[in-house]
Amino acid sequence: MTQETKPEERKKRRTATEAASRIGAMSKAMIGNVLRAMEEGRPVAYAFIFCGYDEIIRAMDIVPAWTENYAGICGAKRDAQRFLERAESENFSRSLCTYALCGIGFDSWREELGEMPPNPPWGGQARPTVMLGSGQMICDPRYKWYQALQHYMPDVPVYVHGMPWPPYENDYDYREVQDYYVKYIVAGLKDLIAFLEKHIGTKMDWDRLSEVVDLSDRTWNLISETYDLRKAVPCPMDTGDAMNTMVPMTFMMATQEAYNFFKDLNDELQRKIANKEGVVPDEKYRLMWGGGLPSWFALTDFNYFNSKGAVFPVETTYRLLEPVYKLDLPKVSDPLEHLAWRWVKWATYRYDKARKRPGSHPDIEHLIEYIEEYKIDGVVMHEAFSCRSWHPGLIWQLNQLKKVYGNIPSLILESDIVDISSYNEADTRARIDAFIDTLEAVKSRGR
Amino acid sequence: MPGKAAAKGLAAADRYYQDYGCQARELKQQGKRIMGYLCALVPVEMLTAAGFIPFRIKGDVNEPITKADAEMETIVCPLVRSAFDVSLKGKYEFLDGMVMAHACDSLCRTYDIWKYTLNLAYSHLINMPHSTDDLSLNFYKALLNTFKTSLSRFAGGEISDQSLTRAVQLYNQNRAKLRELYELRKAVPPLISGSEVTKLLVAAMSLPVGEANELIGSVIREVKQRGCILAAKSARIMVVGAQVDNVAFIDLIEDSGAWVVADALCPGSREFLYDVEVTDDPIDGIAERYLRKVYCGRTFRVREGSYQEYLEDRFGYIGNAIKDFGVDGAVLYIYKYCDPFGFDVPEIKSYIESKGTPVLYLEDEYSMSTIGRLRTRIQAFLELIGSK
Repeated sequence: MTQETKPEERKKRRTATEAASRIGAMSKAMIGNVLRAMEEGRPVAYAFIFCGYDEIIRAMDIVPAWTENYAGICGAKRDAQRFLERAESENFSRSLCTYALCGIGFDSWREELGEMPPNPPWGGQARPTVMLGSGQMICDPRYKWYQALQHYMPDVPVYVHGMPWPPYENDYDYREVQDYYVKYIVAGLKDLIAFLEKHIGTKMDWDRLSEVVDLSDRTWNLISETYDLRKAVPCPMDTGDAMNTMVPMTFMMATQEAYNFFKDLNDELQRKIANKEGVVPDEKYRLMWGGGLPSWFALTDFNYFNSKGAVFPVETTYRLLEPVYKLDLPKVSDPLEHLAWRWVKWATYRYDKARKRPGSHPDIEHLIEYIEEYKIDGVVMHEAFSCRSWHPGLIWQLNQLKKVYGNIPSLILESDIVDISSYNEADTRARIDAFIDTLEAVKSRGR
Repeated sequence: MPGKAAAKGLAAADRYYQDYGCQARELKQQGKRIMGYLCALVPVEMLTAAGFIPFRIKGDVNEPITKADAEMETIVCPLVRSAFDVSLKGKYEFLDGMVMAHACDSLCRTYDIWKYTLNLAYSHLINMPHSTDDLSLNFYKALLNTFKTSLSRFAGGEISDQSLTRAVQLYNQNRAKLRELYELRKAVPPLISGSEVTKLLVAAMSLPVGEANELIGSVIREVKQRGCILAAKSARIMVVGAQVDNVAFIDLIEDSGAWVVADALCPGSREFLYDVEVTDDPIDGIAERYLRKVYCGRTFRVREGSYQEYLEDRFGYIGNAIKDFGVDGAVLYIYKYCDPFGFDVPEIKSYIESKGTPVLYLEDEYSMSTIGRLRTRIQAFLELIGSK
């Protein structure tokens, strides 16, 4: 039997922006809203961030329970171990995605008890009405997690919709295949709506869907413009805060609340820039978080970087959008077709650019673009041992970056997203110290 | 180097197994074109129809991973890391190109690493969908047509429907021969050991399909001719997992006093249970088989009916094998970092146990260095079976 343990008390991470400091309360309210929905009998859908169809969920008044979010919260509160152990006792390997393990551990425990496990973080994870996987191209747990959950909740229907995009290939151009990708995505979205109408009992309001799609387009643009403000020197907001502001970006996409949040953040950053107010008073090194999900239990490491005069004006993680007006989207009236085109065009956004630089790749172009636009001195990545979505390929990206662009100091931290047993604070900070020394040496040589 | 005269029977299979790739190397020297591929989800019929000799890239459990880590993260499936490592070390320098299917994250997410690092003249990722619904099937057909066009360009000639149909027939013969081979395992004691079967399956992955068919046929004849020579052992074991392309684990079980008589593995029964239907447009039959009839953990079978029916749909082939091959116990043998099969473990375990068959779940790495520590687990499991 999994033992109930009291999570370790932690000091809160110091945020640079007022907006980011509101995120904790927003997240808590979001979880509370899901629990209320469950109690009131409103439809709750387990779903994955960046599923590509947030708009459908919102337009149908379904309350999304973002299962990765809840696992991240357990991790951030250093209260994930008992759920991970529970999953392990069910024969799930600890080498699997720890978001999924934490969620499965929690849900299997809740199903066994018929109520929430003892002292669940923020009241617990609600039992869903449906589970919506989104398999293709992001990661396997996006469909395996919910498939596995049926072992504990066999009555909860699962829908898995492929949201593929064309891979970057040498043997054909993505434009040769994009039409059938879009066609497949649109057909799948229609099928998803039919599934939801059947299991939720609510009909899609197509006018409302169009409005929500328009809102999310505007939110994409606003977020892009807001994050671009971070190019300023000194940098007014860094990745530490962006790991908070990803909440409205990913968990609240296609809501007015998200749009309003980024409007406020935009105003705040403009004020800070006008006042020359940076994350650190004496900005010495500008770093890019070049890949990998963060250790949610160790976000104070960003403060540690800050204490050394280092800031992160930009990150590739959780910046999974581009200004919509730059995506060269065809004009279509069907909101589902628009979503499909936006998805495919976003994914292929840097393909042409990559072709122009021998040996390059869209992911490398992404790094180069940010290095140049944000005046980056070094790249930091994080390899989370349990996640095979964003983490395989980081070493190769750095190697390839060096080949096609040039040397830039880099650091790959190693730990996990949720499993704190993989983390060693002293070792991590020693590696950060050594990296700062390298940055200083490079800067000195350049002077 | 096995010559034509030697390419028969268990001895030849053993040689092809021990010197994996020797025949492909020789064929390359003769001017043939060799296309590497990873995973059972690459439609080898298309490679053959395009004039290439499909060659399955595999790792080597005896070879420490020393080069791959400079390019590929250690959180990737150890089998993929090992395969990449030996590829970097030049073991498969005869390859003209490489094809990968979107089978799992460890493959899909490392495709670019393979492509850029090995720098082969040709590479292609078949971005196979996960779902088995009609929409996904149609999408998959479109992907296969893109692949066909791409492969034709590289091959320098069109891939005709006739050549595809011929290839489909050849691979169906291959599957039929393997089914016939597996019949020999039903005897008590089995007429062929698990180790011999594994070596043959692995050898066949490295050969042109025609040669593989001849080899399998010759083994069947040899085994039938030699008759019942294997000693009686206390238990008949089925191994369930992803890809087992070496005999280390099979030998461990068979050295511990049991016969491995059945499997749900690649290479193995997962690959030959179902043929490709010969259809007017060959892509139709190929798509149907690879998306819907390869029972791999990476494929999300759409649920119809109750959860119990769903389990039967997904794992019924395991239940059938347990019955048909007189299996006393199943070993669920899963590699670390394997998401498609790792998430299935509780369901498969409870499904098999519901049939009254005991299950041992083992997580392992793709390395000889870990095989030894599994011995006591296997021995304890066999004792448990023996006591029942």
